[in-house]
Amino acid sequence: MDAFVQLVILGLLAGGVYVAVGVGFGLVWGVLNIVNLAHGALVVVGGYITWQLFTGFGLDPFLTLPLDAAALFILGYALQRGVINRIIRAPLLFTFLLTFGVNLVIVNILLLIFGSDFRSVTPAYSGQGLELGSVVIPYVRLASLGAAILLAAGLAFLLNRTRIGLAIHAISADRDAAQLVGIDLRHAYAVTYGLGAACAGIAGGLIAMIQAITPTAGEPYTLQAFVVVILGGLGRVSATVVGGLAFGLVEAFGQSIPGSGSVFANAIAFGLMVLVLVTRPQGLMGRLH
Amino acid sequence: MSAAVSPQLELRGVTKRFGGVAAVDGVSFEVAKGDIVGIIGPNGAGKTTLLNCISGTQRLDRGDIRLNGSSIAGISPHRVAKLGIGRTFQIVKPFGSMTVRENAAIGALFGSAQARRGVAGAFALADEVLELVGLRAKADHPVSALTIPDRKRLEVARAVATRPQLLLLDEVMAGLNNVEVDDALDMVRAVHATGVTVLLIEHVMRVIVGVCRRAIVLDFGHVLAQGEPEVVLRDERVIQAYLGERYAKRLKS
Repeated sequence: MDAFVQLVILGLLAGGVYVAVGVGFGLVWGVLNIVNLAHGALVVVGGYITWQLFTGFGLDPFLTLPLDAAALFILGYALQRGVINRIIRAPLLFTFLLTFGVNLVIVNILLLIFGSDFRSVTPAYSGQGLELGSVVIPYVRLASLGAAILLAAGLAFLLNRTRIGLAIHAISADRDAAQLVGIDLRHAYAVTYGLGAACAGIAGGLIAMIQAITPTAGEPYTLQAFVVVILGGLGRVSATVVGGLAFGLVEAFGQSIPGSGSVFANAIAFGLMVLVLVTRPQGLMGRLH
Repeated sequence: MSAAVSPQLELRGVTKRFGGVAAVDGVSFEVAKGDIVGIIGPNGAGKTTLLNCISGTQRLDRGDIRLNGSSIAGISPHRVAKLGIGRTFQIVKPFGSMTVRENAAIGALFGSAQARRGVAGAFALADEVLELVGLRAKADHPVSALTIPDRKRLEVARAVATRPQLLLLDEVMAGLNNVEVDDALDMVRAVHATGVTVLLIEHVMRVIVGVCRRAIVLDFGHVLAQGEPEVVLRDERVIQAYLGERYAKRLKS
């Protein structure tokens, strides 16, 4: 029983990070119809900003998260406005090529600046945890889960209750009509991508506290985001939250199978994705149109 | 001041080509503030292309379009909307994932300078506009639950919510039965009565005669005739364009 509870807790804690990684990716995919292959690279950029602020200025890593978000929003806005907007109406393959190219550029700039060494963020409280009987919950992971849920809630609020959120809904529903009621498409696209990047930045900050980062570490995050968004269902933040937590749980239980271990983590993840696509293509929480 | 006497909308030699075909060819006309003008013409006459040029979704090849005396040719659609030109589509384009009220609120949130307000204010204005077009009772319905006539109303509501000075209606009556056309005519009159200038495209003659003070007939991208609807519709060239030469002769005899 203890082992079961521990696995559930570990799964949910890991799931929190997946939620953070997934929400921005899902937003960009759902609204802009771009499968953003640079997402993982943006996550890593967020990680490096947190690392730099922590090691350079001694800032608490959780306090760096808003700065990650702000910096990545600006970067994302500029990327979309300057580069990706040019192919917004092009076939999906073009967006693959372009975002993959952006991914390569970001990774190599990071390599130039930070080198290929692994970096980790270890605040004083990083070894401590909450003891519940025999189960130990690391504070950092618990706070990360909280931060991820807050991030998702904040994004959902922004999308459903604010002016720019309604504009994002409108452009995702019908671009032409949105334009003709006075919405500036290029700006709204750029804000959407900027928000997606900001979410990636926060995810990166959280990840840097949990595992070591290196410039080339981004690709798994893109894949995880992809799986999480498909699992939950495209188009709603709450669906991505469910997808992320479910993915964390499946991974935790999958790894606990004797002889499995972390080697099969990706196989389990993609097996699950295929299973969902076959049985419930709209995702666990998605709606069919 | 010359701006006071200049017409609200002024088209000068507007031309739009697709390859070798001039869909709109040297079209000139004026619309006075507060007027309600109908554009008619056979299929392919260039009516929708003309509206696209005015609302900025298609660029002119030649000519100029002026709103209150200043040129709006070549500026992007969202800026045209902000200047106060609202537009509906012949094939309705609602925001399908939203409710009726949210659709109208988007118009109120982003439209012209007069419309611009906060989220709560936008929803209040949306309710007013839905009342005007007769959709107030269905404000909370998802768009997918609306009938075709209601979708056309919503299309108008969203455009009206942008608080336009000029409203372009692209065949809001198409596909409606007689009773529905009468209802839609009342709606257009109600919208016009709020002080909005209306320029509408129609196929249904009854609509043009019913609400328009002036009609402009387009044929192969040219203005064939313009004037009072009753007069224009009796014009021989207009009858020919619509019915062919043989029927025009038969009508005359």
